[in-house]
Amino acid sequence: MIDLSVLSATEIRDGIAGKRFSAREVADAAFARVEALEPSIHAFNQLTPELAEAAADRVDAMVAAGDELPPLAGVPAAIKDNMNLVGTRTTCSSKILASYESVYDCTAVRRLLDAGALPVGKCNLDEFAFGSSTENSAFGVTHNPWDTDRVPGGSSGGSAAAVAAGMATVSLGSDTGGSIRQPGALTGTVAMKPTYGRVSRYGCVAFASSLDQIGPFAHNVRDAALVLNAIAGKDEMDATSVTETVPDFTATLNDGVKGLRVGIVRDMLELEGLDPGIKASVEAAAARYAALGAEVGDVDIPAARHGLSAYYIIGPAEASSNLARFDGIRYGYRVDDATDVLDLYMRSRAEGFGPESIRRIMLGTYALSAGYYDAYYGQAQKARTLIIEDFAKAFESYDVLLTPTSPEVAFKIGEKSTDPLAMYLSDVFTIPLNLAGLPGVSMPCGLSEGLPIGLQVIGRHFDEATMLRAAAALEADLALDMTPSMARGGLDG
Amino acid sequence: MAKDRLSEVLERYEAVIGLEIHTELTSLKSKMFCGCPVEFGGEPNTRVCPVCLGLPGALPVPNEAAVEATVLAGLAVNCDIALWSQFHRKQYFYPDMPKDYQISQYDLPFCSGGHLDVEVDGDAVFQRVDRDSEEEYTARIGITRIHLEEDTGKMIHVGGAEGRISGAEKSLVDFNRAGTPLMELVSEPDIRTPEEARRFAQKLRLIMLTLGVSDCSMEEGSMRVDGNISIRLRGEIELGTKSEIKNMNSFKALHDALAYEIVRQADLMDVGERVVQETRHWDVGAKRTSMLRSKEEAHDYRYFPEPDMVPFAFTEEWVESIAQRVPELPDAKRERFMGTWDLPKYDAVVLTSDLAMAGFFEAAVAQTGPARAKSVANTMINDFSAHLNAEGIGVDESPVKPSMLAELVVLVDDGTISGKQAKEVFSAMVKTGEAPAVIVEARNMRQVSDTSAIEAVVDAIIAANPDEVASYRGGKIGLVGWFVGQVMREMRGQGNPKVVNEVLRRKLG
Repeated sequence: MIDLSVLSATEIRDGIAGKRFSAREVADAAFARVEALEPSIHAFNQLTPELAEAAADRVDAMVAAGDELPPLAGVPAAIKDNMNLVGTRTTCSSKILASYESVYDCTAVRRLLDAGALPVGKCNLDEFAFGSSTENSAFGVTHNPWDTDRVPGGSSGGSAAAVAAGMATVSLGSDTGGSIRQPGALTGTVAMKPTYGRVSRYGCVAFASSLDQIGPFAHNVRDAALVLNAIAGKDEMDATSVTETVPDFTATLNDGVKGLRVGIVRDMLELEGLDPGIKASVEAAAARYAALGAEVGDVDIPAARHGLSAYYIIGPAEASSNLARFDGIRYGYRVDDATDVLDLYMRSRAEGFGPESIRRIMLGTYALSAGYYDAYYGQAQKARTLIIEDFAKAFESYDVLLTPTSPEVAFKIGEKSTDPLAMYLSDVFTIPLNLAGLPGVSMPCGLSEGLPIGLQVIGRHFDEATMLRAAAALEADLALDMTPSMARGGLDG
Repeated sequence: MAKDRLSEVLERYEAVIGLEIHTELTSLKSKMFCGCPVEFGGEPNTRVCPVCLGLPGALPVPNEAAVEATVLAGLAVNCDIALWSQFHRKQYFYPDMPKDYQISQYDLPFCSGGHLDVEVDGDAVFQRVDRDSEEEYTARIGITRIHLEEDTGKMIHVGGAEGRISGAEKSLVDFNRAGTPLMELVSEPDIRTPEEARRFAQKLRLIMLTLGVSDCSMEEGSMRVDGNISIRLRGEIELGTKSEIKNMNSFKALHDALAYEIVRQADLMDVGERVVQETRHWDVGAKRTSMLRSKEEAHDYRYFPEPDMVPFAFTEEWVESIAQRVPELPDAKRERFMGTWDLPKYDAVVLTSDLAMAGFFEAAVAQTGPARAKSVANTMINDFSAHLNAEGIGVDESPVKPSMLAELVVLVDDGTISGKQAKEVFSAMVKTGEAPAVIVEARNMRQVSDTSAIEAVVDAIIAANPDEVASYRGGKIGLVGWFVGQVMREMRGQGNPKVVNEVLRRKLG
């Protein structure tokens, strides 16, 4: 059987095009891995073998007809369960949407499938993407393939774990404050948040509209770039998606970093509580950039220290509004013995939402209330402006910036679940990018005590190409094997 | 009864009234934030999509035509147009609102600072007791703002009395209307009498119809007027406590509800009671307002900028391009009718208070020529209006077309038929839809103006009635009418009365 732990997306497509194996065989291999690994990982809320097989059959029919195959033909792909796809439930890992069937397709998912990908299933997440560990799910915890006692990060933990375990070759996550990049770091995958507006948000259940962005997980930078190629570009259904030209993000991946100006965000690297192993690994990565011919220097983003506080105002404020529609009237969970409409609202929502969702709805509602708006939301927006300005200044001197993705490696399940503030700190390096709308990619840069470390490479607005080129150069130089031991091999020998 | 009391109350109290007028942009093809069609009625929940149903993950995309229509409306009522504007979310829970927030505008509306001049005449002039003259007057009513938002769905309450929510067994929701572009105009509290309020709303409606942005049906709810009203003793500067009046579904209801409310508030104040700030519902059957909700139930709407859309940045050039599209407005049209065709003000007002009437008039005059404009106006204001009222139909539904009315006017004017015959032709025209000339021909109604033909008949009548001729010549000149009658009978009514008279007087000497 095909060993999906070693094949890249391009190798799969080319293998199918060259008739070395069929798309159907790829699908079978993916579901064989799911059968073997999913019981100990729980990356998925729902598996979609029928959809995957139908998609595989379409690819095989194209091969039979001698048609040119699209770039991701036959590539097993997993989708975060906050994105709509007809034929699936879109639950957001919440009781309130547990039985909600999608009636339309999310644009990014549609584009991914139009590029030939095979949908393996819908991935677990922290409820409505509120969290950094995928523990806040109504359907159970997702385990990290590197150590199943540990979390995969979150909120896109299922999408990250599915790729890390090789149950999918690529996957889609959504990133509001680090929800792609942080689980990417904790699972040793390449995980990218594109520039705000680069990828349509239509069909992805909104957490915080001004921060959310869909992006890929992959085993390597090239595969991530291929997925971005497929999903990027203006969508008439999303007024915040932009008409900016979409280049071929794979075209410049091998151009190297000679002369590229690489800035280490020094004040972030000096942050208290940063794992020393991670700090050393990031410094080492910077040294490699210098060795590869880049001009490496230090830069500060002082306003970023306000990022976490600003984010925990803006994010919950928008979330409190976006989640209002889950009211039990038209769809979703509804108590069946309501005495009147207020009772219906209050109990359906109290019973349907998990504790972290309720916490964020309350935080956001409070922050937007009369008399508090200026002190909270207004101030947070000012902090956001300062962060944007600091990054703009840094990008006057540098082409890409480096930070750790996460202050620590994968932590134990249950370790932080009772301490929301400690959990919130997980995203201290990733949040400023969402506030500034900047693209960032997390890539593995080493191990600390046997667990993956993520390096965050930050690019200018709509300059994912340079960011990915820098990531690809380091990836080639480090040549790390980032396959967790449980996921090695073809599994069936 | 209320009206008499109203005049008496308004001598002691001054009413302070502001209006909030919602207008659905019914002439647009699609809803505010999605591609669903804008239409009234239809099977429930058939004109819906993920966006206007607020399904998970759906996003709003603003309808540019709606933004343009709002700016057009703003320019038509003398507003300033904001070059930087955006939508906000207004948040509250209600089952007819799919997202449980309404996309609306808050501190950055598209239009602000406009005004409309309304003319008040007739008895209503007396309600404005601060005026020192009994002549008609013009009141300038300020317009605070016009903003754009999305309409809600409709609740249908089943099992209760008259579809009201109280006592209903269950409630259903129809989302066909949800997301319909809705323009909200807020007036300054410059209105002082119910009649001013009515004239303001009527004028605004006429302007919106002229702009072609809405069908402005108060009955179907595409134009909805709410009023804020308080009263204060004459000479007092501080405002009284206001109430907000809803469910005024016609111009008459608007007038009557405000009149009722003025009297109700005065009755409270007269006995030393306080007016309570609350929202009240006009019951058109009972002719009274009743409390809907008190101020304590007022919402904190938690407005914040709509993050699913980017703000609007307009250029002066763009605003100017919209301004070019403002058509001739009712005031200008009225002035033109008075100036170009020398019509009296009354005629011009009547003809321009209805778009179709004005269009009909212009089409008819184009055919008759400007010299007969007054005759066209007379025929329209009298016969044509009477016919429309009798049938209960609109101008466009009448079988009488501008060309037919023009033809009729010309037939009278050139003496082919008499004014009396014209009435008969008009009736026939309404029944058959035939052109006046055809009717005149078929009924052989052509008026005889030929002097020699008339003279022959007159000579015969004079010869046959020597006694009457003697009486007339003896001084009973009133007998001329009798002679006219004899001649006309002989001519089967087709003699030109003017010529018959002339010839008779000459011959009778």
